[in-house]
Amino acid sequence: MSAFEHLLHGFGIASQWSNLLVAAIGAFIGTLVGMLPGLGPINGVAILLPLAYAMKLPPETALILLAAVYMGCEYGGRISSILLNVPGDAGAIMTAIDGYPMARKGLAGVALSISAWSSFVGSVIATIGLVIFAPVLADWAVAFGPAEYCALMVFAIACLAGMVGDKPVRTLLAALIGLTLATVGVDANSGVYRFTFDNVHLSDGIQFIVVVIGFFSVSELMLMLEQHTETGQQLVKNTGRMMFNAREAAQTWWCTVRSSVIGFFVGVLPGAGATIASAITYMTEKRIYGSQGTFGHGDIRGVAAPEAANNASATGSFVPMLTLGVPGSGTTAVMMGALTLYNITPGPMLFTQQPDIVWGLIASLFIGNVMLLVLNIPLVNLFARALSTPMWMLVPAIAAISAIGVYAVHATTFDLVLMTVLGVFGYILRKMDFPMSALILGFVLGEMLEQNLRRALSISNGDVAVLWSSPISAGLLLASVTMLVAPFVVRRLRGIRRQVA
Amino acid sequence: MNSDRVFAIAWLLLSAAAAWVATGFTAEFSYEPVGPRAFPLLLCVLMALCSIWLLLFPGPKVAWPERGGAFRLAVMVAALLAYALVFQWLGFAIATALLTIVLGRLFGGGWMACVATGAVMGISLFFLFDRWLEVTLPIGTLIEGLL
Repeated sequence: MSAFEHLLHGFGIASQWSNLLVAAIGAFIGTLVGMLPGLGPINGVAILLPLAYAMKLPPETALILLAAVYMGCEYGGRISSILLNVPGDAGAIMTAIDGYPMARKGLAGVALSISAWSSFVGSVIATIGLVIFAPVLADWAVAFGPAEYCALMVFAIACLAGMVGDKPVRTLLAALIGLTLATVGVDANSGVYRFTFDNVHLSDGIQFIVVVIGFFSVSELMLMLEQHTETGQQLVKNTGRMMFNAREAAQTWWCTVRSSVIGFFVGVLPGAGATIASAITYMTEKRIYGSQGTFGHGDIRGVAAPEAANNASATGSFVPMLTLGVPGSGTTAVMMGALTLYNITPGPMLFTQQPDIVWGLIASLFIGNVMLLVLNIPLVNLFARALSTPMWMLVPAIAAISAIGVYAVHATTFDLVLMTVLGVFGYILRKMDFPMSALILGFVLGEMLEQNLRRALSISNGDVAVLWSSPISAGLLLASVTMLVAPFVVRRLRGIRRQVA
Repeated sequence: MNSDRVFAIAWLLLSAAAAWVATGFTAEFSYEPVGPRAFPLLLCVLMALCSIWLLLFPGPKVAWPERGGAFRLAVMVAALLAYALVFQWLGFAIATALLTIVLGRLFGGGWMACVATGAVMGISLFFLFDRWLEVTLPIGTLIEGLL
């Protein structure tokens, strides 16, 4: 079957009424979560994943829900950027630079509608990219053996360490902590209990959901409490013209398309997510238009470009997750964990073994984005009103819903306590600038990395050279080393140049 | 002392302890060249190396919360732990109402408003999840005993 036929089949699945309903709910919740400052896609997906699992949604429906939440967050983040000058999530930081000045000029409606439109264009272009590139990549990766997989996972971690830039050692340590947490529990090959300290609750490992909620929900609430102040930011009233006009649409069109394409490819790289994509495209557009633009003072292109890019990169990060089983962002790492909860192993075989899930998800991205466009242009004022929900109502609600999700897995008090302990640990790590996305990537990849490593060495009878003997694994390992070393070299070179100048 | 250094020393000790524990991971029968011990040991060594790096090249100072802020964080953590411990005993609805009151007060809500929100939230979330969405939540052994 061609990709087109698969896609049609996917639309058949995505348009079942339950999946449509779930996509609409996800889009709504996602926009809300993305809009609230402090809560981003990873928190939204982390909080909803255990609920989806507890409600026994079938895997494709659960994935459609989580994907809709992810997309919704990328749309929603812009609302508070524009109206409050406080980015709703990390991907919307650049949107505030020109969005808030536009709102101050009385153009809030225009800024909101053009950013929703460019988010939509970004998502659609990236979803088309997903349809074109993902099957090709999956075909190529089917031939991967255990050694190639090891190299690929090392590459993903190295990418993250290199991309996050100024703190590769911190990123690496965070990933190692994640990998170590994943070794807790009984070893599948030998039956040996590792790091369980004779505790029954730890014998099948630390639950993925407990880790995710602890690190992304509890620690987030602690950070919220620390940053909580009595005086809120002034909300700009959304009055005047609600819709962008034809001239504005034409003015932003090429910059939206350009940013979408860049955003997609940045998203495909493991580790580089929406934040980096929107920063790169904003800088690019600023350089292209130069003195013709009014960037920083309410240029409409400065709103369109980062919004197109963050949606495109979010969609792009599905490519490595679906085809290689290596997530492209922290949020897709959580979604990949969701698949493993359902005993589905992500990777190249997904396309042949679980076409319903893959193509249903891809088709739902198209449908979900149409829903989001409707939610985010005519109904934007409804969401803006929710921005005035007081923290003292919001925080207990998040805490209680997180606890429901954790409790639903095993119905034990132990998991609730562990959630709190991991939350405190996560808070300390985040205060010290350890990237949590690396930790969760390590945790998700831990078991796979170890299994593939042991399998590769079993095949070669203990000969370590098997790990870099094939050209693919050697290339990936070489690329990993480059990723890790490059930031140091670049910084050194810059330092020398500065001394010369 | 720089908090990176404190963390690095703590993590170095922890890695060493974990490595010592991991040396005991031996299988009685082994079918493969790499047993259950190698991978955790490798991770411990790498974590120790990263810790040593942090010890030698610590990052900038971390702005930890001042005393009042730290106290409020401690109250939050204590409330969450207490919530976990009474969850099955008091049941979801009452435990959640109490948690809501404590957290709401921490975030500056008024007494009456927090109590009202707590009651509404505890009951409505229980019915939403337990009764409607079929996610089983504890009614509470205390309440079951009374009934």
